Amino acid sequence: MKSLGRLRTALGERSDYDAVAQCSRCGYCEQACPTYKATGREAQSARGRNQIVRQFLEGKFEDPSSAEEALSTCLLCGACTTACPARVPTPDLVLEARREILGQPEWARRLLRHLLVVRPDLLAKAVRAGFALKRMGLAGLAAKTGLLRLLGLRALAEADAHVKETPERTLAEALREDASLRAGPDAAWSYFAACGTNFVFPRVGLASLRILHRVHGRGAFLDNPCCGLLAFNYGDLETARELARLNIQRWEDRRSDAPVFADCSSCAAFLKSYPQLFLRDPAWRERAEAFAARVKDIVEVEAPVRPGVLPGLVTLHDSCRARHGQGLFKEPRAAVKAAAAAFAEMECSDDCCGGAGLFAFKHPELSEELLRRKIGHAKAAGARTVCASGTSCLIQLARGLEKYYPEGRVVHWSEAVCEALDGSDG
Amino acid sequence: MPRDLSSLKRLLPGRVYDGEADRLTYAYDASLERSRPDGAVLARREDDVALAVRWCAERRIPFVVRGAGTNLSGGCVPLRGGVVVSTARMDRVLSVDAPSREALVEPGAVNLALQKRLEPHHLFYAPDPASYRVCTLGGNIGENAGGPRCLRYGVTAHHVRALDAVMPDGSIAHFSLEDEGPELMSLLIGSEGTLGLVTKAWLNCVPEPPEIVAVLAAFRSIEESVACVAAIVASGVLPRDMEAMDRFTLDCIEAYAHPGYPQAEAVLLIELEGEGAGLALQLDKVRELCSRHGTLELRLAKDAAERDRLWEGRRSAYAALTRRSTNVLVEDGVVPRSRLPEAARRVRAIAQAHQSPSSLLFHAGDGNLHPHLFFDERDREGTARAHRAGQEMLKACVELGGSISGEHGIGIEKRAAMGWLFPPETLGLFRRIKAAFDPENLANPDKMFPLPGEPLPAPVRPARPCSPAAQALIDAVRERAAERRPFSLFGARSKILKAVADREKGWLTTRPLSAILELEREDFTVTAEAGISLSELKSRLDPEGFFVPLPVSTGTLGGLLATKPWPGVRDGILGMRVLLPDGTVHDLGGKVMKNVAGYDVPRLLLGSWGTLAILLDVTLRLSPIPPELPGELPKPKLPRMVSWHRRLKRAFDPQALLNGWFEEPR
Repeated sequence: MKSLGRLRTALGERSDYDAVAQCSRCGYCEQACPTYKATGREAQSARGRNQIVRQFLEGKFEDPSSAEEALSTCLLCGACTTACPARVPTPDLVLEARREILGQPEWARRLLRHLLVVRPDLLAKAVRAGFALKRMGLAGLAAKTGLLRLLGLRALAEADAHVKETPERTLAEALREDASLRAGPDAAWSYFAACGTNFVFPRVGLASLRILHRVHGRGAFLDNPCCGLLAFNYGDLETARELARLNIQRWEDRRSDAPVFADCSSCAAFLKSYPQLFLRDPAWRERAEAFAARVKDIVEVEAPVRPGVLPGLVTLHDSCRARHGQGLFKEPRAAVKAAAAAFAEMECSDDCCGGAGLFAFKHPELSEELLRRKIGHAKAAGARTVCASGTSCLIQLARGLEKYYPEGRVVHWSEAVCEALDGSDG
Repeated sequence: MPRDLSSLKRLLPGRVYDGEADRLTYAYDASLERSRPDGAVLARREDDVALAVRWCAERRIPFVVRGAGTNLSGGCVPLRGGVVVSTARMDRVLSVDAPSREALVEPGAVNLALQKRLEPHHLFYAPDPASYRVCTLGGNIGENAGGPRCLRYGVTAHHVRALDAVMPDGSIAHFSLEDEGPELMSLLIGSEGTLGLVTKAWLNCVPEPPEIVAVLAAFRSIEESVACVAAIVASGVLPRDMEAMDRFTLDCIEAYAHPGYPQAEAVLLIELEGEGAGLALQLDKVRELCSRHGTLELRLAKDAAERDRLWEGRRSAYAALTRRSTNVLVEDGVVPRSRLPEAARRVRAIAQAHQSPSSLLFHAGDGNLHPHLFFDERDREGTARAHRAGQEMLKACVELGGSISGEHGIGIEKRAAMGWLFPPETLGLFRRIKAAFDPENLANPDKMFPLPGEPLPAPVRPARPCSPAAQALIDAVRERAAERRPFSLFGARSKILKAVADREKGWLTTRPLSAILELEREDFTVTAEAGISLSELKSRLDPEGFFVPLPVSTGTLGGLLATKPWPGVRDGILGMRVLLPDGTVHDLGGKVMKNVAGYDVPRLLLGSWGTLAILLDVTLRLSPIPPELPGELPKPKLPRMVSWHRRLKRAFDPQALLNGWFEEPR
């Protein structure tokens, strides 16, 4: 089956059709939807997308392919669901429709599966090779980017241009060598390395680990594969399920009830949503429920910080999958506010920055508009430091700040908190 | 097949969308209606709107203006296809002039965006519909939107100072309160995009009160709570808002938002505003009245945080209710406040009779009921039941002397219900007004009024017999109409130029129509005939504590309204009975505080100098405390007839019988 067919909603488990029928078109989501605010176009609003899905399910669409733009421009940020009186799960519905209407070319699905499930080591090598090329200089980069565009791989070319950091080693490679992170009965927690942290921002992972050590004592590295979100959003469900099973098994193998911490909010939210992948599979559903119940976003850690240590004005960008995916709003603020010499909320702090996984690479113009707005709000707040908890936000915001507001810097929540960690062992 | 919009696309490159996904998503609003347009224009500025409308007008293609599409009655559904003109990208608050308490906005600006812009100036914009976080100000103007705060501050019509609009022929017009002649601006407000498309609005803003306190009072029954509401209004306390909720609503809210509301059959939520001793006095009065009306529990919130907690439940009512089922129909009836208990009883009985689950929540101070009916639109029978129950609730409101919409508009869903309120002749007048502005019937066609030939229910409005004097005048006018004999009509002739007065022979007068027809003590409304002198009206009512919101002036009540020497005369007008030169009588507006059924003809007639219709009687909102009024009024100046006025003249008086002197060279 291409799609899930049934969804977990705030009002209970529902078929896709029942879930979308819950949208009564009140429009209360309109001003929450970043793409509607940027375009003013109803088809690019949450309500519009719900109605597109509904009419598709009702067979009232003559040419469903005309929905491609509306469906593919959805950021999947979930701000609409937060604003919705009935919490209609628009991102899940959009994904269902994408699976049914748009699909993916077979070769792309297979490639994705191969890299994520079968040979993750190849993915690491490929990323390393890419970074090495990138470090070779702009000329090579421009040529490569041109080549990628020529091949029609615009998204990859865009991605390449966006990523500024090119670590030589992945985080997993470093952590596997760390004896203190070995599994064992005394491990009070497990650390889940998100792909963004693993490949692009190992420094974030190191900060998260320091916080976890300080707050919860000794823990272990889960040495996990990808959470499966990439496949869930852009590939096929089977790959996503395969990765979910791998992760659940790895956790079960530890025979520990200790919490699992992830430091990319998108991954944390997806790990928490694993049961939805197995609604028709009672055995795995139960296992997924047990696993999901133990998953925590790193921003949920109540970290002791030295007050007023972070210099300059600090603000917080609510990463979508923290705020809307997990309902975390107060949690990320607690430590950051305490640690900041000065803290100010920015306007629309929970609007998507336009990073949104591959969105920034697939819809560069729209993404740029959202980014411009986001940085404008950060600047208006006078923030010198912007904290975020999604790794895709980190890439996007770093690029935006450099372009529109070079006085500002973006750091991951873990880095900010780590900087101010009280009683840190250094 | 959708119409070909390629030439429109060339005219407005990058702003026209006509793919199926776009046509599908401009087919709906927040009602149950759906109809796909041929495409949509995302206008960026006034010129885009004018270009699009002109393009349509030249090709006789219908068009519908749309803001956020949160309309609950089908007002922005393009029934005949054509072009949707979206103002979503004309969303700027252009300026705020704090000293003159005025904001200039584009039509697509969101209500909340304006509120936020006003905050630093300690001002706010009074109309606060439930959808204020997303709905646009242009849409608010099109629907004459209200909200809880309108109890104290009035509805949208009270807060618009001027408008720019693209008219159905594509021309751009400016209307303002300062305009001489009939109030064309008021005609546009609440006209649901059928007469013109607002492209800019100058809005009145209100200073934030120094202090606000909130009171929650629980009652044993809706009846007791409503009796308390009436007593509070009569005591001279004018709350900022006064909301009532029934048991079902309270239970839903409690299950969803857990605000800790008391378990009671009815709860009133009241906000008072003011300062120091004055506010304390209001609060004492409210407390005393609540306990005198048997309140079971009274809670007081003094600071903003406590107030927020009390209001959180009310604010989440829609969310709490909409989770109960797939769809919720929010009805919008309005009755005189004193009839609320009966209206609540009937609404409940109707819901039961149709086995349609429902809850009741209302802007009690305004007599505006919002029954919520639950159904799943995929279940045809249940949907039909809910719809029938809703319609019957509206009918009950009309029978109780009220109206079918306080603030949501007529759109498509209440089109037929207009028949309960208005006889065919009055619906005909509305259609002639529409045709005067839009002869090709292109601007949002088939809205607000029953379609010609559509089977109509008979009016169920309580009959209001005419006084013998009024009947005599009606007979005299009918005689002249039958003979096609032009005639002049005056009040006391206190405002007419002497030359005109001397020249006119055989004129008719409203002077003998001088009775006070109805004084509704509980509702604070009066219906008085147009020929009564202002001094008499005021001297009879003011000493009883029913203050007339009109300044003293020589001449008659009708004369004051027809010549409008002070724009404030419009504020207290609730309804009018008018006589057209053809001898037909039309009962417009009513005795309710809010009413958006049909065009606002009563306000249109203000300043029309007897060129359009003859006022027989007027219903006014009275105040329990002396209102602020100007002392001496300037002598009204005879206006010139602008082209829109001339067109309306033909709609009201096609045979040009009435007051022809107005158009003679001066």
